[in-house]
This record gives sequence, C-alpha cells and structure tokens, in this order.
Amino acid sequence: MSFLAQTSSAASTSGASFPTIIYTCLVWSALLFAAVVLVMPDQTHEQRSRIKSLGISGAGAALFFAIWAVESQIADVALGTGGLPGGDLVERHLWIASFQFESTYHLDADGLSLSLVMLFGVVFFCAALAAWKNDRHVKMLAVNLLILETAAMGVVVSYDWILFLLFWTLPIAPIYLLVRAFGHGQGDRAAGRYAVGMLASGALLTLAAILITFQGGLHSLDMGAVPVTLPGKGGGVAFWLITVAALLAMAIVPLHGALLDLEEDSTGVLSAIFVAVLPSLGAFALLHVAVGFFPTAAGSYSLFFAAVAVVTVVWAGLAALRTDDLRRLIGHVGTVLMGVALLGVAGHSTIAVTGVMYLLIARGLVVSLLMLLVSAIQESTRRVRISQLGGLAWQAPYLSALWLLASLSVAGIPFLAGFTGDYLIFTGSFPAHRWATAIVLGGTLLTAGVLLWTAQRIFFGSSQDSFARVRDVGPLDLTYLGVLIAVILLVGILPGHFAGLFQNGAGYILFPGTV
Amino acid sequence: MPDPSGAAVFTTMLPAAMLVVAAGVVALLGWFRPGLPPSFHRWLGSIALVGAGIAALITFHALGNTGGVGLVAYAGAVIADRFDAYAVLLLCGAGLVATLTSGAAAARLGPRMPAFQALVLTATAGGVVIAAQWEMGMLVTGLGLLVISLIGMVALEKTAEPPGEAAFRALVTAGVAMALLLYGLAIIYGATGTTNLAATRGQFVHGAALEGLGLALTLVGLAFLVGAPPLHHWLLQVAAASSGAVAGAVISLAVASGGIALVRVMISGFSPGMRPWVVLAAVLGAVACLYPAIVSLAAGSVRRLIALGVCLQGGLLLTALIANGVGRDYLSAQGAVALLFALLVFVLAIQASFQAAARLDADGIGSGISDIRGLGRRSPMTAGLLCLGLVGLAGLPPFAGFLARILIAETAMAVGYSWLAAASVVASAIYVVPVLRCLAAVLVEDDDLPALVSTSPWLPGLVGAACAVFGIAAFALAGPLIFAAHGAASALR
Repeated sequence: MSFLAQTSSAASTSGASFPTIIYTCLVWSALLFAAVVLVMPDQTHEQRSRIKSLGISGAGAALFFAIWAVESQIADVALGTGGLPGGDLVERHLWIASFQFESTYHLDADGLSLSLVMLFGVVFFCAALAAWKNDRHVKMLAVNLLILETAAMGVVVSYDWILFLLFWTLPIAPIYLLVRAFGHGQGDRAAGRYAVGMLASGALLTLAAILITFQGGLHSLDMGAVPVTLPGKGGGVAFWLITVAALLAMAIVPLHGALLDLEEDSTGVLSAIFVAVLPSLGAFALLHVAVGFFPTAAGSYSLFFAAVAVVTVVWAGLAALRTDDLRRLIGHVGTVLMGVALLGVAGHSTIAVTGVMYLLIARGLVVSLLMLLVSAIQESTRRVRISQLGGLAWQAPYLSALWLLASLSVAGIPFLAGFTGDYLIFTGSFPAHRWATAIVLGGTLLTAGVLLWTAQRIFFGSSQDSFARVRDVGPLDLTYLGVLIAVILLVGILPGHFAGLFQNGAGYILFPGTV
Repeated sequence: MPDPSGAAVFTTMLPAAMLVVAAGVVALLGWFRPGLPPSFHRWLGSIALVGAGIAALITFHALGNTGGVGLVAYAGAVIADRFDAYAVLLLCGAGLVATLTSGAAAARLGPRMPAFQALVLTATAGGVVIAAQWEMGMLVTGLGLLVISLIGMVALEKTAEPPGEAAFRALVTAGVAMALLLYGLAIIYGATGTTNLAATRGQFVHGAALEGLGLALTLVGLAFLVGAPPLHHWLLQVAAASSGAVAGAVISLAVASGGIALVRVMISGFSPGMRPWVVLAAVLGAVACLYPAIVSLAAGSVRRLIALGVCLQGGLLLTALIANGVGRDYLSAQGAVALLFALLVFVLAIQASFQAAARLDADGIGSGISDIRGLGRRSPMTAGLLCLGLVGLAGLPPFAGFLARILIAETAMAVGYSWLAAASVVASAIYVVPVLRCLAAVLVEDDDLPALVSTSPWLPGLVGAACAVFGIAAFALAGPLIFAAHGAASALR
C-alpha cells in the first residue's frame, strides 16, 4: 500500500476516528478557490494575474486530490476493494432524516468515477493554464471554470440523489454565462439551446430519482442501493428517463447539435472543456445510473444502444469528412468517440465496460488536446477554415507533431491512450453485436483518416506567404499541451496500472450486489 | 363557552397581542411625536417582532411533551401548537426583514413611515392569528387584519399614482377572494353545522356536491394570497407599481400567511381525504406552476419576472398541499413538511429579489431588462444581490429552493399525482430560462454607461444579502430545518 493510501486509510487501520475527507476536498476545493476569486478586485493587470494564479491553484488543488484518490484506490486493488464503492475513502453522514426518505452526504467512487475524476482533474488544470492568455472577463472565467470543475467532480462521486442532482444542474448557469461572455457568431443561440437541453436532462433525472425512490419502496435517496426493482412499468419508465437524459448530455446523434454549436462558437479553452467534460458526464449517468440501477433492462435494450452507436459513428464520421470548420471537425470526432463508448455500453460485458472507462479518459484527453491545438492555430493564423490553411508545418513544427500524435491516438495506435479503450470495446462488443462492431470500427478508422487528411491539408504542402509570420506554440502552450500528451502516453504505455481499478468498477456496474 | 384557562389564553394570544400593542405604540408615537427619526420606529417594530418570535420559540420547545395537541383556548377557537409556533417564527422573520428593509422606501413613504411600520406589525399579527385559529370566525378576523394591512402598506406610497392603483386593484381582488372564502365557509357551516375547524373534518359527507363547492370556494379564496391563479393579478400589479422594499414586504408577508392559512384550513380543518378540494388544488397547482413559467419567457422587466416567480412558487405550495398524506396516517404529513420548508426558503428568495429591486430604485435604474445591461460592471453590489435573488427564486443550486422543489415533487408523486410532480419540475425548469437571460444581461452584456455610486441605504442591502446567503445555507442546514418543519406538521390534525 502506498504512502497516500496508508495516510487515507489511517482511520480504518489504526482505529482512530479522524474522518476521511479526500472526496470532500476533491469536490469543494475548487469552489473554495472560486469563492476567494469572487471577492478579489480585477481592475489592474496585476490583480487579474492574481486571479488567474488562483484559478490555476484551484484546479491544481482538485488535480492533487484526484491523483490522491486514484492512487489510493489503485493501491487498494490488491486488497480487493480498489475501484469498488465502500472503500476506505467513503464519506457518509446523515443529512436529512425527518422526511419520508433519508438523505445522506454520501461521497464515494468506483472505477468509472475514478477514471473521470482523473480526466477532469487533468483537463481543468490544463484549461486553467491555457486561460492565462485571456484578458477579458478574467474573474468570470476563473470563477465559472472552478464552479464547473466542482460540478463535474461532484457528479461522479455523489452517491445520493439530491447531491447528484445538485451537481448535475449546477453547471447550467456557468456554462450559459461563459458562452454568452466569450462566444462568437451564434454563441447566444448555442448557449440558450444547450441550457435548455441541460435543463431537460436535469428534469428527467429528477423525475427518475423520485420514481425510483417511491416505486422502489426505498426510504433513502442513497444511490449505493442498487439494483432496484420497480413494480409494473415503473422500472422501464425510470430506465428510459435516465437514458434519454444521459444521451442528451452525451450529445449522441441526433441530440448532438446543441453541443456542436456550443463548441464551435466558444473560445478554445471553453470548447476544450465542453467537448471533454460534458459528454463524459452523460456517459457516466448512462453507465452508473441507468445501467447500474437497471442492469437487466440495459442488457435487454443493448441492441438499441448498438444501433444508436452505429448511427452516431457513421453520421458524425461522414459529417467530419464534409466539414470545413476545424472546431466542428473536433466536435464530430468527439461525437464519434462517444458513439464508440456507447457501443461498449451495448456490449454489456466486463471487458467492454472496462474499455469504456479507458476510452472516456482517452477521448477526453485527445479531444481537449485537439481543441486547444485548433485554438492555437486560430490564434496564429486568425483562420479556422481548413480550406484557408496549408503548409503550417514549416512555421509550426511542434503544432503539427502534436496534432499527428492526437490523430494517431484517435486511430487507436498502440502505446497511445486510445488503443486500450478501442481494443477492449471492440473485443467485448463483438460477440453480442458483430455487425455493429464492424461498422463502428470502420467509422473510427474513417475518423482517424479524416484527422490525418486534415493534418495533411493544414500542415503540409507548400509554405504559404500569408503564414510567414505564424509562430509555433510557445512555452506556456507547451506546458499544458505537454501535460495532456504526458497523460495520453502514460495511459497508453501503462494501461495495466489502472486495469484492476476499472475491471472492478465494470463488475460493480454490470453485476451490482454480487461484486 | 367554557372559561378559557389562563395559561392557554396567554400562550396562544401572546405573540399577536405583542404585535398589536407594538403597532399601536408605533402609530401613536408617529402621530403625536412626528419629529422622531424613522429609525426609532423601525427598531421599536423590530424589538416587538423579535419578542413575538422568542415567545413562539419558547412555545415550540415547551410543547414538546404535549404530543402535538398544544394548548387550546376559547373553546377551541385558537390553539398554540408546534405548527403555530413554527408559523409565528416564520411570520415574525418575514416581518422583521420587512421592517429592517423599510428604509429603502423612506423617500416615497416620507412622514408615513411610522404608519408603514405599524401596518407591518398588524399584518404580521393577522398572519399570527391565522396560524393560531381553529375556527372560521377567527380565520376571517385574521385574514381581514392581514389583507387590510397589506393594502394599506401599498396605498401609503401615495406620492406616485401607480401604487394607489395597485392598492385599489389589490383591494378589489382581496374583496373578491374574501367573498369567495366567506361563501365557501358559509356553505361548509351549512353542511356541517359547526364553525369549528377541528370539528368540520368529521362532519363531511364524502362526495356531496354542496360541500365540494364550499371547499373549492374556500381554497380559491385562500390561494389568492400565494399568488395562485385565477386571483394572482394583484401580485403582479403590486410588484410592478410599488417600491421594491414595500413590494417585498407586502408579497413576502402575503405568501407566508397564505401558505400558513392553506395548511391550517385545508389540511388541519378539512382533511386531505376530501377529494373535491384535493383535485381542485392539484389542477390549480398545475396551472399556477405552468402559467407563470410560460408567461415569464416573455417577461420584459425584472419586477415582472420576480412576480411571476412568486406565482410559480404559489403553485408549488399548492402542489405540496395536496400531497399531505392522502390516504395515509396524518402523522406522515410529508406534504406539509415539504410545504413548510419550502415556505421558509421561498420567503427568503422573495425578500432577496425584492431588495435587489429596491436597490435598483435607489440607484435610479429602471427594472426593464434593457436597463440592467452591464449592471455587473456599473454597480457590482446591486448586480450581485439581483443575481442571488433571481437564482434563489428560480431554485437553482446551490439555493435551498432546489431542494424544496425536489421535496415537493417527491411528495406529489408519493400520493399518486405523478403528472403534477412532472408539471412542477417542468415549470421550474422553464422559469430558469428567462432568469438565465437576465443573469447574462447583468453580468455579460454591457452598454458602456458609467459606473454608479449607489445611494441606497446599507441596511436593506445587507438584510437582502443575508436572506440570499441564508437561502444557500438552508441547503446545508436542511436537516435541522426539515426536522423543525416535521415537528410543526405533526401537530396538524
């Protein structure tokens, strides 16, 4: 057991009553920094720099606790508890007792939660670093990014319905305000559409939570008591309410338009967060809530998920082929990868669901990297149309290399993050959905091909005079892009480091109560 | 009528008596000593309200061993139970906020400030009587005292024409509501032969059309206080015409008293097993949720948006009302628990948002959406308060209104009204859309106007901010607050 794990499990081993508060720190540390930023002045350059530093510190604190939680749980895999809820980091305190149900302040994590905790920690930290260059609405950006991080972390470690719904709906206002403040083009419309979508998903989840609590005869809003059996059609209704809410957030075809618009009309930092984080939250809701609560129903409807995955991958892949807008292209790539994750859900096997966890990490890292690269290209060239770019490799070799690395990760090349997830999903899904797996595999390769073709169009060819003054990524850019690349390589080269964690998590989701 | 016991009379009537006496003192001092500073009347009123609240708090604790029965006086016409104590605390809190924030309306009230303070006290006393009553006569007395005081508060701002018109409209609406209520009570008396609400529930004949009509009229008559359709226009008018401080005081006291009256009369008096009023309340609740939410999408001013939010909250209160243990033991009165918890957080949200409107008044900013563009830069404090108030009113996290909405929907679904639960959730979600637009106008949009130096007095802003902060803290403190609401609801019989 590592030092971190020894420290965090001191309560259980020594008999001391010191409470474990890793998940509390993980969730609330960013919000604490947001509260400090909120009261700071932002009139001068120095004051704005201080706010940016605090923003980075807040994201850094959350990343620190994320690494602590993940490493502690990895160390516990050998004990048989890593990646399963109820481990030594669990926090559970009675909150509401005088009502017809009990509600607890219950924070916990399984393998899926921990995979996303790691992803969010890295992405928000890199985004905070990337936001250093921004000098507009500095305070608003820092505060809302930290609130978003709190919400994202909170969703994946909440084991109580009220907490889950609280964190699920918390980002609505920050996202809307950020896009209104930093959006361009149709940003206002995109912000409104996405807010309505999030409100709808929140409303559906609320109704599902109420239905599960009452029809399941539960007197608790605890989400750890899974699976549930509802009488009559209640189970089916609740399952579909959660599924539709999750698919809305995952931006699966045909529900992908709002998120695509959001990504297209936002700044690079925001697009990187939106494309990496928001669909991942939807995938979490689908796996952890819909499948976790109703594994039998999820197995019965696996053909539906496979069909939606096929439609999503084919549609988004073809759209990626046609689009001339770099941001939209990355949005389509993100949608394709989410379709692959959906195929993993349809696979309904431990291998496939383990693959989904790897893929969610890889997807988040790669698409946020690509989105930040697009931002860097746009910043250097003032252009975002593929047809208006070309020959940039001569002026920006690092940029080109990073783009190629990300493209290869999307293609599932070994030793990069995307490989393990793709391999496990396709292997795990093939026995149940052969045709769907084949088509999705083809769609993934098509998307990787589109990315490489795009690289050829924007980076290679003859050097253009209009780009003679284009500069490559600077030291600051290399810092946050380097962090993303390092994690992509880490997950690609050492997938076994997380294997036990994710396998246990997948087993818990698919076979609750037996693991 | 048997002689009332001294302790029972003292306990049941003490808060109301303290408030009425204090109101008399404030009014007389204002009349005979016009030179006294307005803050003197404000602090005198505050002391009376705190005193009444402390009396209620002592009652709440002292009634712990009575099993929820409480102390009954005047042949059951009034009662001091845990519900009464909770209600008095809530009303005194609302009254205290109204008193402390009245300075924001000083310019428009002028020398009539003592009268305003006295009316706040009498309106609170009216609400206290409604909370303590168990008899139709006392109900009408309390309601009359409350409504006349509220109309008077609006009418006192007679330096401008709109408040006078609003007061007149409120008077007409209140007259119609009171008439409906009286007709309803008269029919119920005719059907049951008693005016005692403790006895009526055992006298009803289920399914009788006449009794159903009486119950329906009573419900509609009471629902006007919480701004539920069809008698909700007074609220929109007062919100649009009165100054922010006065509108906040009037509407928060009306909603607090209305919620308490609905619980006391409809649940305690008529029992939730009576199908006619439960079905009507469900329909009214759905309409009162959806109608203001949809209309708010086209709201062009902050005040109208706030008023429609209050109407939506009225709908949510009706939704909680029907879910009070239908078909269950009354001790599992979960709908009432949800209602009482929601009432507390709704009143806080109303006060916070109207204090923001008051600051807009003081700073000379209109309440149109176009007027508040760039407010975040021009006047950060006002903008912050406005944003907190609106987010609290919309029930977005981290405000306790979010939890209250979940509790209400839970209770509605628990008694089989899934469609009503869905309507309340959908309406709450719809109302968020215009609120988000407003937030964007305040924080994101800008019209390059110069920064403002606020001339608003500090106390109302501070109290408004405290309401907003407590609205957030109530989320974390939901456990003890719901425990208190449960204690109050379990006293209902």
